[in-house]
This record gives sequence, structure tokens and C-alpha cells, in this order.
Amino acid sequence: MKTVATPATPHPVRRFWYRWRFHLNILLILIPLGFMPRYFQDVALFRGESGLGQREAGTVDVGPWQLTLAEMRTLPPAEAGEAGFFKQFNAALCEGCSEEVKATYLRIGKPRSLRAAGALFFGSPYRMSTNLPVPTNTKDDALVWVTMEGWDGTVHQGSIPLADASPSTLAWLQNQGDAQ
Amino acid sequence: MSKKSRSKIWFMVHSWLALPIWFFVLIVCVTGTLATVSQEIVWLANPDIRAPKPSPDAELLTLGQALEKVQRAEPDLKVLSLMRPDESHFALSARVSYPDGSSPTLYVNPYTGVIQGVSPQFDFRQFTRALHGWWLVPFTNGFSWGWYLVSLLGLPMLASLVTGLVVYKKFWKGFLTPRLRLRQGARVFWGDFHRLSGIWSIWFIAVISITGTWFLLQAVLFDNHISISTEGVPPVIARDAVPRSESATPPPQLNLDQMIAEAVERVPSLDPKRVFLSGNAYSLTFVEGRGWYPLMDQTVGVSPYDGDVGYVRLLEDRSKLEFVTESMRPLHTGDFGGLWVKLIWFFFGLLLSMMVLSGLLIWSKRTVSATAKALRKERRANRYETEQTPAETVA
Repeated sequence: MKTVATPATPHPVRRFWYRWRFHLNILLILIPLGFMPRYFQDVALFRGESGLGQREAGTVDVGPWQLTLAEMRTLPPAEAGEAGFFKQFNAALCEGCSEEVKATYLRIGKPRSLRAAGALFFGSPYRMSTNLPVPTNTKDDALVWVTMEGWDGTVHQGSIPLADASPSTLAWLQNQGDAQ
Repeated sequence: MSKKSRSKIWFMVHSWLALPIWFFVLIVCVTGTLATVSQEIVWLANPDIRAPKPSPDAELLTLGQALEKVQRAEPDLKVLSLMRPDESHFALSARVSYPDGSSPTLYVNPYTGVIQGVSPQFDFRQFTRALHGWWLVPFTNGFSWGWYLVSLLGLPMLASLVTGLVVYKKFWKGFLTPRLRLRQGARVFWGDFHRLSGIWSIWFIAVISITGTWFLLQAVLFDNHISISTEGVPPVIARDAVPRSESATPPPQLNLDQMIAEAVERVPSLDPKRVFLSGNAYSLTFVEGRGWYPLMDQTVGVSPYDGDVGYVRLLEDRSKLEFVTESMRPLHTGDFGGLWVKLIWFFFGLLLSMMVLSGLLIWSKRTVSATAKALRKERRANRYETEQTPAETVA
């Protein structure tokens, strides 16, 4: 008679766990190492040292002024609950016009009045930003309208196709259409 | 189930809570510990953020005076915000925007208004916070999954505390008769250390794990668009309240000290420490600082045109729930009562990191000795088996 029972062969999953459980640490440590370059890219992006945003969309003529527009990130709009979807744009005013411009607005589709001019830019004239509401039923050929109000009371408008302003938003809208 | 086997289970649970991810937990604890004093570490390393007094009788500038000095030195830059740190040995910090689009932080001497330096590319404080808080996983849409990964640790940490107190019989006796045996081998030393630092850290582990779990809950609420805030959208200045300009340039504005004075007149308990200057023609300038309660800020929004107070958010405007939830972050970081509180948090953070390490050492030593014992037993049994005849074994 045997005094020592032969141990039953452990389940493969159990064996796998026993063999590799401490290697979980290595996997976890690899995460921040892998994201480190991305972290420094983001720091440069937020400090405005890698450009106005991740992708510069171009310059829009608005009456006597110009506005350089950029996507903060080349990502589709982000959801903000019931308020809908928003896309962050950054912008810089033309050199020498920061004293003359009172306010800058961004909107998909042409605004009917100054009161509905859209999202108001916030920040310094060298780099300001706003969150543009993007309705899910926006057409592919929509224009993004820039409205600028001068301290002298004048109002000027200019536009850029959404396809140029944010290709990622357009692609997202097209996917939404396909899904419906 | 017998009492003994029940406590054995508790013990097993306690030993296994952090074990497979011990290194991850250790790094999170160590980076958190460093983060509590990261500002002080930067102070030691970088003279730009210190606040040297030019002469023994030099007086502090008001925020408005400092702003004026900065603007005069660099007329092209736009100041976005200006902050006076809680501790007087730190320089003022001004978030600014340059014509090239970059927006670094400037360190400004609080006595002279001289710009002492620009925040370096590698911000140690920000980096330790990012590593500790979200494991460097970027935020793109809502909270980063790294945030979930780290804040999830609050739960096993809380469980470690509870199970630790269950398996440590009559732990309160440890307060009266502390025991740290130095000369009886590493296993005994680390065991004593783990228990002793554990009971003295009960409050700290509870604070860190509960606030950590709150961070998890906060992310869950945010990502599901559930708000518990009683704070409305900060108002803008009405169109007709912005004065018309005679020329094509902006109308005159109050200087910063006048705006701060308006804010303090409205809310006398406000200790103005931070100002966020208007970000466009319709936005208020916000003055922020603490009141009687050290864990939360009060905010007053003032119109830069006429000093009209357009927004007030005081301690008493918060709901009871917000008092609790808004206190969570300062309680976690220890940044609410100056250097001494930070140092206490640092010390207990170090102790907590050591507890992770000592827990691991105890476990490995116990397991090593248990394994060795088991092996010895088996070998002996095998030898016995080969040497004895079956008949003898039966007998």
C-alpha cells in the first residue's frame, strides 16, 4: 500500500495560472513603457509645441481677417451624453488682428444670425479652442462656418468644407449613416 | 466550518489579494508616494521655481502687480492664469500663450515679478501624477483605461486592510506593546514590520483605498454621463453688458487687483490664490481660493469691464454629497495643509510601499520554507517506501 497518494493531474488552466501568474506583473509594467512615447507626444500637443493641433485644416478667409483652423485630435467626435457629439477644434487669429476681433464662432451650416453663430472660441488669440456640436444627421457636403465679430460692430463670415476641416468627422458621419 | 479553518481562509485571501500583481501595486504605491512631494522635489532640483527674497524687508506683490510686471517684460504673450502656491517658498506660476502657439508655464518671483524660468519639457510632477494616476494610458474619449486599472486597486487594498485586521488577532494590543524583533531572522523581522506598520497605517490605508475607489466610481459616473454636480454652466457676460468700443480695439478693462477686490468684497471669506483671466470678450475672470474648509475651493466670476460679479460658487452652495466627493482628491494627495501634511502623507506612503514589499517577502519566505518542508517530507516518504517491504508498511 502506498503511503503517498499520487497527486491528480491539475487542470491545464490551473497549471497555466500557476506557471504564469507572476508574469502578469511584466505585462502590467509594459503598459506605461509602451505608452511613454505617446505620453510625451501628448504633452507637446497640449503645450502647443507640435502645432496648433494634431492636424491643421487650413486657413479660412473671414472678411478682412483669417483664421487658421486645426483639429485638436484626428479622432471622430466624442459623445457628451444627451448633449450629443462634440469635436474639438483649435484656431489661431491672423497676425495683428487679435485687437480687432471681439469674438470667433464655429458652426456646421450657415448661421442665420449672430445669436446663433455657434460655438464660441475660448483661449488666447494665438491658440484658442472650442467644442463644435456635430449633429448625427450632418450631410457629407456640409460646410463649417466661421463667424467673426469685430469690436467695431462688423460681422464677417467664411467657411470651409467639413471634409477639409475634419476628415475623421466625415468618415464617422458616413459610418453612422451606414449603421442606420 | 471550524474557527481555525475559517481564519485560514481569511489568511489565504489576505495573502493572495495583491500577490500576482505585487510589482504593479508596489510601483503604484511608490509613484503615489513620490507624487505627494513632487513639487518639493522639483523645488530642490530647479531653482526657477523657488521664491528668493531680494532683500529681508521685501514685500509680496499682489497678483495684479505681478501680472503687470510679466506683461511689461513680454508684451506679446497672453497670460491665461496666474497662481500663488500655498507655500511661500514657491514662485508664482503663470500659464501663458506665446504667438507661436506654445503655452508653457512661467515661474514668476513673488517679490519682484521677474520671470525666473519656463516650465521644462519634462515636468516631473506631471509625469509622476500621470504614471501613478493612469499608468500613462492616454485619455481620448472619456477616462483612460489606465485610470480604471489603477483605481480598481482601491478595492483589493480595502479588502487587504479588512482581512489583515481579521487575521491579526487582537491587533489593538500591538499599539500598547509594539514588537519589532531584529535578531531572529528576516522572516520574523518582516512579519513584525508588516503588522506594526499595518496597525499604525489603518487610517491611511482606509483613506487611500476609499478615495481610490471613489476615483473608480468617478470615472464610471463620468463615462456613463451621470452627473451629481449641483454646479450649473458658468455664465457668460450678456451681449449688451459688454461695452461698445469707440474705436476698432477692445474697450478699457479693470486691472486684476480691482477685479480681485470686487470678488473679495462680495465674498469676504475668499482667500484669492488663483485667477483665470477672461478667455474671450464674453467670459468672466474667475478668482479662486479657499474659505474656512481646507479641502475645497470657492470661485467668484467677475466681469473685467465693470467688476460686476456674475458667478459665485461657495462652500455652502455644495450639496452634502459634493462635500464628500470633492474632498476625496485632496484627501488622497495630502495637498491641503502645507508641507507638513504632505510629509505625513509621504511617510505613510513609504510605509505602505514597504508593506507591499514586506508582504511579498513574508509570503515568499513562508512559501519557500513550506515548499522545502513538503519536499523533504516527500523525499523521506519515497525513501521509506523503497526501503521497506509492503508487508512492513501495512503493519
